[in-house]
Amino acid sequence: MVVLVTATVYVGSIALASQPAPMDLGDLPLGRHGIHEGMMIVELLMGVYILYVGVRARHFLIVALMLGQGAVMAWLESLAGSGVNAAHALFVDKFSLVMALINGLVGGGICLYALGYMREYHTEAHRDVPDRRPLFFALLFVFMGAMFGLVFADDLTWLFFFWEITTLCSFLLIGYTQTPEARKNALRALVMNLAGGLTFALAIVFFYRNTHSLGLQTLIHSKQAVVLLPAALLCFAGITKAAQCPFSSWLLGAMVAPTPVSALLHSSTMVKAGVYLIIRLAPAISGTTVGLMVALVGGGTFLVGSLAAITTPEAKRVLAYSTVANLGLVVLCGGIGTYAAVWAGILLIIFHAVAKCLLFLCVGVVEHKLHSRNIEDMSGLILYMPRVAVMMLIGMAGMSLAPFGMLISKWAVLRAVVDAYPLLCIFIVFGSTATLFFWVKWMGKLVEVVRPQVRVVKEISLDESIALYGLSLVTFLACLFFPFLSSQFIEPYVTGVYGQSAFLGRGNTIIMVIMMMVVMLFPLSFLSHGRGVKLVDPYLGGANVAGSPGFTGSGGTIENVTMQNYYLGGVLNEIWLSRIAVAGGAALLAVMITFAIL
Amino acid sequence: MRGLKQSPWILHYDASSCNGCDIETLACLTPIYDVERLGVLNTGNPKHADIFLVTGAVNEQSKAVIQNLYRQLPEPKVVVAVGACAASGGIFRECYNISGGVDIVVPVDVYVPGCAARPEAIIDGVVKGLAVMEEKQTILASARGSIDKITYSRARLADAGFIHALRKAAGQAEAVLYGDDSFPVLDESLQDLQNEFEQKVFLKAVINGKIIGSIAGHWDGHTVNVDGLAVHPYFQNTGVSGRLLMEIEQAFQGMKQIETRVGNKNEPLQKELLELGYQNFKTEVFTPKITWIYLRKERT
Amino acid sequence: MNPWLRLIIYLVAAPLVGGLLAGWDRRLSARMQSRRGPPIFQPFYDVLKLWQKQNLAVCFAQNYYIFFFLLLVIFTGGLFFAGSDLLLVIFALTTASIFFVLGAYKASSPFSFIGAERELIQIMAYEPMVLLTAIGMYMVTKTFYVHGIANHSDLLVLALPGVFLGFVFMLEIKFRKSPFDLSSSHHAHQELVRGITTEFSGRTLAMIEVAHWYETVFLLGWVYLFFASSPIFGVAMALVVYVFTVLVDNVFARMKWQVALGSAWVVTAVLGFGNIMVLSFQR
Repeated sequence: MVVLVTATVYVGSIALASQPAPMDLGDLPLGRHGIHEGMMIVELLMGVYILYVGVRARHFLIVALMLGQGAVMAWLESLAGSGVNAAHALFVDKFSLVMALINGLVGGGICLYALGYMREYHTEAHRDVPDRRPLFFALLFVFMGAMFGLVFADDLTWLFFFWEITTLCSFLLIGYTQTPEARKNALRALVMNLAGGLTFALAIVFFYRNTHSLGLQTLIHSKQAVVLLPAALLCFAGITKAAQCPFSSWLLGAMVAPTPVSALLHSSTMVKAGVYLIIRLAPAISGTTVGLMVALVGGGTFLVGSLAAITTPEAKRVLAYSTVANLGLVVLCGGIGTYAAVWAGILLIIFHAVAKCLLFLCVGVVEHKLHSRNIEDMSGLILYMPRVAVMMLIGMAGMSLAPFGMLISKWAVLRAVVDAYPLLCIFIVFGSTATLFFWVKWMGKLVEVVRPQVRVVKEISLDESIALYGLSLVTFLACLFFPFLSSQFIEPYVTGVYGQSAFLGRGNTIIMVIMMMVVMLFPLSFLSHGRGVKLVDPYLGGANVAGSPGFTGSGGTIENVTMQNYYLGGVLNEIWLSRIAVAGGAALLAVMITFAIL
Repeated sequence: MRGLKQSPWILHYDASSCNGCDIETLACLTPIYDVERLGVLNTGNPKHADIFLVTGAVNEQSKAVIQNLYRQLPEPKVVVAVGACAASGGIFRECYNISGGVDIVVPVDVYVPGCAARPEAIIDGVVKGLAVMEEKQTILASARGSIDKITYSRARLADAGFIHALRKAAGQAEAVLYGDDSFPVLDESLQDLQNEFEQKVFLKAVINGKIIGSIAGHWDGHTVNVDGLAVHPYFQNTGVSGRLLMEIEQAFQGMKQIETRVGNKNEPLQKELLELGYQNFKTEVFTPKITWIYLRKERT
Repeated sequence: MNPWLRLIIYLVAAPLVGGLLAGWDRRLSARMQSRRGPPIFQPFYDVLKLWQKQNLAVCFAQNYYIFFFLLLVIFTGGLFFAGSDLLLVIFALTTASIFFVLGAYKASSPFSFIGAERELIQIMAYEPMVLLTAIGMYMVTKTFYVHGIANHSDLLVLALPGVFLGFVFMLEIKFRKSPFDLSSSHHAHQELVRGITTEFSGRTLAMIEVAHWYETVFLLGWVYLFFASSPIFGVAMALVVYVFTVLVDNVFARMKWQVALGSAWVVTAVLGFGNIMVLSFQR
């Protein structure tokens, strides 16, 4: 069943992506009012459910935020009535298509993966968790549907509807295991996303009051002074959804959920909704203080997230910090808002979604086999689980190595930043070197072989392997064919909005391709089987013990060789970093809202 | 090819030295002697080194370490034993913990005498070692693909010095085993050995340009007397002795009887000889600790 | 000059120049220590000797990484001297360094492991300054392309004094000289045996040496860029900076990695970023 739906999603996404865009969907027989009423009812039901959750958990903030949201939406209804006149409720352009493609391909892959993963999850790894897999998969698909709706929506109320559905799905999925920790983190995610939802609702109301319109495109193309406050509030909502400072903690806490959830919601798609919104709004806020504040939030998150990722040996936490950091970069691009920045931002979205998803899925598989999420336990994985280790290396290379995607994106971001706000480059400059540190550290851990390992019998199940191989291939192809991606999807969009677009340039593209080919040659070197090389022991002061990785210690004892990565504990402290992040982020957002109101 | 002599990188290891020779070795790096002008670099890493400089006598703990480090030096490599202790055990030779000089563990190429050896002597030894290394490189290069392979061939008079040192080293190792120094091979002089070259057929086993095994055979009219079987302790139990015995048989085609003798504690060699078709025919007590066992092989 | 010609000259001449510089470095250091020092061609003898030595390794794959390290360093320098985008050059060099570090990880011995970690910390220490240098040059010359920067009419160092000083500080780390020779030291004062290069021998070690020569030439070429508008002065300054790094190498003892990282970032933030701030306000 799942496979069937997934296949449909795949075919649909690709078919849609190959259509010319932007498309005008105004003639669709949507029966607007009926849909509008239907949405109202669903929203009401969702609101009631959330209130119930808030009351049951005695979480005052949830109740308050939900009531606030309800009040604002009621206010909107009274203002707009049923005379809502967005000519087009749905809007399809290249950017939407890219997002839909990501959602479809990546999301579909994750659903396939989840089949195999959840089977093992419930039968072996976590037998104590109640098996609610039908609900799990249903939520996954509802979520994917909501994402499709989100990226195609032009009517802000529709967008808001889908936005809230994603919030609810996230809450339910994080709390899937129903442990106290999961419940706590789910509630935290709910609170923060509700806060974003509240500002979203306020934004719609203010926008409508000023312009009597509910269209996103209208907002983007209006005069800046008119729409600055709604735009700022929408950016606020985007920041909460994308877990930027000061709201990063919900994403970090969401890692308790099963891996498909982490991959789908919290790296590839849902959090992308937040940055999608900000990038969409980029023309509306570019050049203003609001934009600058958004950029600062993004840049600060990038720096703090990257530094924090160095300090932790837990694999999913590293991935979560890295996600937050990369989203920070995209938010930075959105805040700057020039054509170059937007081009860079979309490129980042694409590459990050694919590579990070691959990494999450691999980590999930590894966690099942090793029963540990600790990077230090992954030593020698290249022998123990070679296929998965190679795919992880591909993912990590995609995240940090030139000439692969993320590096191109970072190159683009740097150029965009230097032209617009050179002082922001300090974030990128320090942050990107921090990212290098933790990725290469991890890569090294996978590759090192301290003690002989026997290959595990069955690495991954069929479903998981389809998803993983497919994603690796997509990562690889995306990197190889990114000029095509850029010219087909990104440049048309950027040119459409700004009148000009950035691009890599022929010379640089050739250089990138050459470099990629050089790096691709690397696996071929393994064919030489070490001709002319003689294997000897590593140097341990001559005290090697024959046939084992140990050495003779004092008193004739045999000591083991252990090697653990640096986590820079004396220099970087995770708690302090998060405190700084929260304080800084809150301050920046406060300034942003203030300037928007004035 | 230029380069090998110009860039000797040293691994300095202190076996159980009193540190006198070590201080003299390190003094070579100081401005007064400055070996770096010869390109010498003291790397602490066997994989980077060409010359294995060992000071001090060898005790039980050092044996395994020296063997391990020797294995980690890339070919062509040279071992220089610095000081009297490294050469033969020096003044500590009779101590309960000392087994002997470095050559009972690894084949040594250059001995630098002195106690402590002077920096000038050490530098001189290193330079001599470079010449040896160049020779090894030539041998290795001329027989391509022969790295780490043992080759067997006829020894010439020029090899007498190396064979002499080898026999002494093997003899010393054996003496340690028996606790008795009376082996005749230990009293043999180089001149004696060179004289024997005229009457006997000498075979050598060579690896990476270094002689690590030797055997001699002598036809006295009705039997072939095989003696002087010496394999360096580092390469023992690798089948070299068996191969040498087979080669010496080949060298004396058509001869019907071959005889040899072996010490009573040398069980592996006895077993090997029995497998090759030798039979025990006489036993002779040499000293209270050493008994010779004579074996003979008849060929048809 | 035709970029292809420059590229070919670089490919051929850089190892020769780099080797001479390395030899000169050793001789100069020796003279500073009242010794005679090896002949200037010593690094060539070293590489020739290493080329003829047996290749020992802990693991076959470790040598493949080093080969690609060499390839990518040559690629980086080639890109630079052919005049292309400076940011791409930096990223290529980063990729090369990553291959070097991964090779040491692959060797799976404690010393090479710690050497690799420290090399990563070193990269983290100097990378911000390298990026800021490129950004600074862009802000003055309005282009990231090396040939554009080289053809700029003014002396870049006058507009970028802070960046230049930060760059020279960072060179000390990049050249692996005291006080920042954390991952591997060429001199006798080893700390981690040979650190990151511990488990390599023979041809692979020769490749690492040659890669360092290429890297040295590339970095000194970058120093030249600061003075590109008067070429002879530029070359002279590049050599002066090199001698300066050798002097600092001999004067200082090795520092801990915390000091290396902290001081490098402080210098980057104050000198490098300060310079950028001044430039951006001038715009």
